[in-house]
Amino acid sequence: MVDLYRVLLVVLMLGVVAKTGQSLRFDLQSGHTKCIAEDMKSNSMTVGKYSTVNPDEGHPLPQSHKLTVRVTSAYGNSYHHSDHVESGQFSFQAVEEGNYMACFWAADHKPQTTITVDFEWKTGVAAKDWTNVAKKGSVEVMELELKQLHETVKSIHDEMFYLREREQEMQNLNKATNSRMAWLSFLSLVVCLSVAGLQLWHLKTFFQKKKLV
Amino acid sequence: MTRIRLSSKICIVICCLLSFIRYVSSLSITVTSVECISENVMYDDDVVYGNFVVVDHEIFWTSDHPGIDLTITSPGGNIVRSLRGTSGDKFEFRAPQSGVYNFCFHNPWSTPETVSFYIHTGHIPNGNDLAKDEHLDPVNVRIAKLREALESVTAEQKYLKAREIRHRYTNESTRRRVIIYTVAEYLFLAATSGLQVAYVHRLFSKSTGYNRV
Repeated sequence: MVDLYRVLLVVLMLGVVAKTGQSLRFDLQSGHTKCIAEDMKSNSMTVGKYSTVNPDEGHPLPQSHKLTVRVTSAYGNSYHHSDHVESGQFSFQAVEEGNYMACFWAADHKPQTTITVDFEWKTGVAAKDWTNVAKKGSVEVMELELKQLHETVKSIHDEMFYLREREQEMQNLNKATNSRMAWLSFLSLVVCLSVAGLQLWHLKTFFQKKKLV
Repeated sequence: MTRIRLSSKICIVICCLLSFIRYVSSLSITVTSVECISENVMYDDDVVYGNFVVVDHEIFWTSDHPGIDLTITSPGGNIVRSLRGTSGDKFEFRAPQSGVYNFCFHNPWSTPETVSFYIHTGHIPNGNDLAKDEHLDPVNVRIAKLREALESVTAEQKYLKAREIRHRYTNESTRRRVIIYTVAEYLFLAATSGLQVAYVHRLFSKSTGYNRV
C-alpha cells in the first residue's frame, strides 16, 4: 500500500511556443521524488527558480525542509545539481533537443512531512529578461509591450510551420500504411493459395508412395 | 504568476502592464485517480479558457479512449463546469468571482492516464481600472486585447499539437498492428497446414493400423 518512491511525472509540453513561464506549486513528501519534465527545442534559453514555501511565517524553515535538485537532459547529461538547499535557480542554453527533467527530492524525515515547493520554469520567449532590455535603452514601457507581442507572434508563426511539417509527416505515414496493407493482404492471399497447393501436392505424393492412389 | 516589484513609478507601471499576463500553465500530468490543479483568478469577470487532451495508452478493443472527467469548482464551492467521459475538450467561462479555482481531473478507470492541458486566465482592463490608475492609457486596453487574442491563438495551437500527438500515436499503432498481425497470420496459417499434414500422416502410418482407408 505505501509506495515510498512513487515518482509522479509532470511533463510540461511547452515546445517551441513558450509565451510566459509557469510558476506552479506542488507538495513533496519527505523521502519522495517528483520530476517535472519539459520538451525543449535546441538552442533555446531556459531559466528556472525553485524555493521552499515556509508554512510558518516569521519562524525560520525547519532543518527538514531541504531539497535536492537535479536537472538532466534527455541524454542523461546533468545541467544543474544542488544538495540540501532551500531555494535556488538555474539557467542554461539547451543544446540538446528533447525532454529535460528537473527532479526534486526531499530528505527522509521520521514523521512524514510535506514540503510545498514553488517552482518557476521559463523557456523561449519568456526566458528573456525584459526588465534588462528596458533598462538598457530608455525604452518606453509601451514599446516594450509591443516588442513582447512581436516576439509572441513570431513564435506562433514558427509553431504553425512546425505543426504543418508534422502533419505532412503523418500524411506520408498514413499513405505508407495504406499501401502496405494492400500489399500484405494480397500477399496473404498468395500465401494461403500456395500453402493449400503445397498441402495437396504433398498429400498426393504421400498417397502415391503408399500405393493407395 | 506576476512578478510584483514595489519600488519606482516605472516599476509600478510595468507591474500594471505585466499584470495583464495571467497565470498560464501548459503541462501534462499522470492521473491515477484524482489530480487537482489550482489557479488564482485575480479579478471578477475575467475570462478563463483552456483545453485538455488525454494522451492515450495502447487501446486494444474499443475504438476511442473511454475518457476522463474534469470538474471546475469556483472559490465558493459551486461547480462551474463538469465535462464527463471525454478524451479531449475545450472550455471557456467568465469567472463570476475572483479567487482560487480548482480544476480536478478524475480517472474512473484503473490504468493511469496522461493528460496534457492548458489553462489561461486573462484580464482586460476596463473603464474602472482606467479611472483608478492614471498611468493606464486607452492604448494599454488595446494592447491587452491584442495580447489576449494572441494567447487564445496559442491555446488553440497547444490543443492542436496535443491532438496531433495523440493522432500520430494511433497511426503508429495501426502500422505496427498491420505488420505484426499479418505476419502472425501467415505463420499461423503455415503452422495449421503443417499440423493438418502431420495428422494425415499419422492417420495413415502403419503403427496405427489404418492401412486400409
